[in-house]
Amino acid sequence: MSGGRNWRQRQQQSRPPTNLEDLVGYIAKSLVNDPSQVRVRQRNTNSATVIELRVAPEDMGRVIGREGRVANAIRALLRVADRHQQGERQRKHIILEIS
Amino acid sequence: MNVEESIEVTGDDVEQALAKGLETLGVGPDDVMVEVLEEPASGMFGLGSRPARVRLRLLTAAPPPEMEDASGAAVATGESAPALQDSGSTGDGNVVDKAPGELSFQAAMETTTFEEGDFEEDAEVGKVVLAKLLENMAVRADVEVRRAEATDEEEPPWMLDIVGESDLSVLIGRKGETLASLQYITRLVTSRELQRRANIVVDVGGYKSRRMSRLYALASRMADQATSLGRPVALEPMPPYERRIVHLALREREDVTTESSGEGQARKVNIIPASR
Repeated sequence: MSGGRNWRQRQQQSRPPTNLEDLVGYIAKSLVNDPSQVRVRQRNTNSATVIELRVAPEDMGRVIGREGRVANAIRALLRVADRHQQGERQRKHIILEIS
Repeated sequence: MNVEESIEVTGDDVEQALAKGLETLGVGPDDVMVEVLEEPASGMFGLGSRPARVRLRLLTAAPPPEMEDASGAAVATGESAPALQDSGSTGDGNVVDKAPGELSFQAAMETTTFEEGDFEEDAEVGKVVLAKLLENMAVRADVEVRRAEATDEEEPPWMLDIVGESDLSVLIGRKGETLASLQYITRLVTSRELQRRANIVVDVGGYKSRRMSRLYALASRMADQATSLGRPVALEPMPPYERRIVHLALREREDVTTESSGEGQARKVNIIPASR
C-alpha cells in the first residue's frame, strides 16, 4: 500500500496545482461500472468555474446518488479544493454539471 | 467544581460566537463547556434577525460529577490513547493533541493506536482512498489510523484521522458538513473497493472525538435541566450522527427519555423528563 508518508513527501516537494478535474474524475471512476466512459471537463466563465462530468447513462445514478447525495458531497469537496487552488479572494462560484 | 468562570457571547452564528468567546478567555475548545442559549434567527432580508448567544463555562481539572451517570457504559474511564505522532508530522497545531488529563472526558472515544501493518482491510483501503482524495484537493495532511473502542454491540469502526500542520478546519466546515461529505465519499469509494460496507469513520484532528465529549456534557446538563424544570427541553438542530450521540448518552438515564422531532436540517433532539 502506498503509505501516507510517500504521498506526503511528494506533496511537500512540489505542490501540484489543484486539478478539480482530477478530483471529480477520481471519484467518478471509483464509483461507476464503466470508468472508460467517464469524461470530465472544466470550463471557466466570468462568474463561475463549471465542471462538466459525463458518465455512461446507466452510471448516472451512481454519481448522483439518492436525492443527489453523492453529487452534493462531490460539490462540497470541490469547494475545498477550489479554495486551496485560488485563494479566498478571487474564488468563483463552482458548478458541477452531470450529464 | 464550585468556582466557575463563565461568559456569555454573541455572534452571527453559534460557531462564531464560540470562537469569539474562546478568544476572550484565551483558551481552546476543550477547556470550556458550551451552552447554546439562543440560536440565531436570520429574519427576512436581515430584518428582525437575532444573533446567536452562547455561554462558555471554563472547565477546571475534573468534569462535573453528573457526567458520569449519564455517560453509562459508553464512556470508559481512563485516558485516551495519545495519537501516534509520526515524528515531525504534527507540530503544535491547534487541532492536534492535548496533554493527558487535560480532558479526561475524551475517554468517551477512547482509541487504540495501531502500527502500520496491523490495519484491517477497511482501514488500509480507506486510508489510501482518503489520502488520494486529499491529494486531489491539494490538502497537505497525513492520515492516522486508530481503532475506536466499542461503544455498543457493534464492531467498532476504524478512525481515519486527518492531521497536519496547516489549518484543516476547512475540511470540517459549518457544523461539520464538509467533514460529513468527505466521510461519505471516502466510505462510498472504499465500500465499492471492498464490495461490502466499509466500517470507517473520518475525522479531522480529533474534531469528532472532542465534539462527542461536548455532546455528552451538553446532553447530561440538558437532561438535568429537563428534570428540574419538569418539562421537555429541546436541543439545537443537529446532524444525524450527533443526534445519535445524544440519544446514546442519555440511554442509561431513567429520569429522562429522548426523541427527535423536526425535518431535515431542523431535526433536533428533545429531552423529556420521565413521568411519574
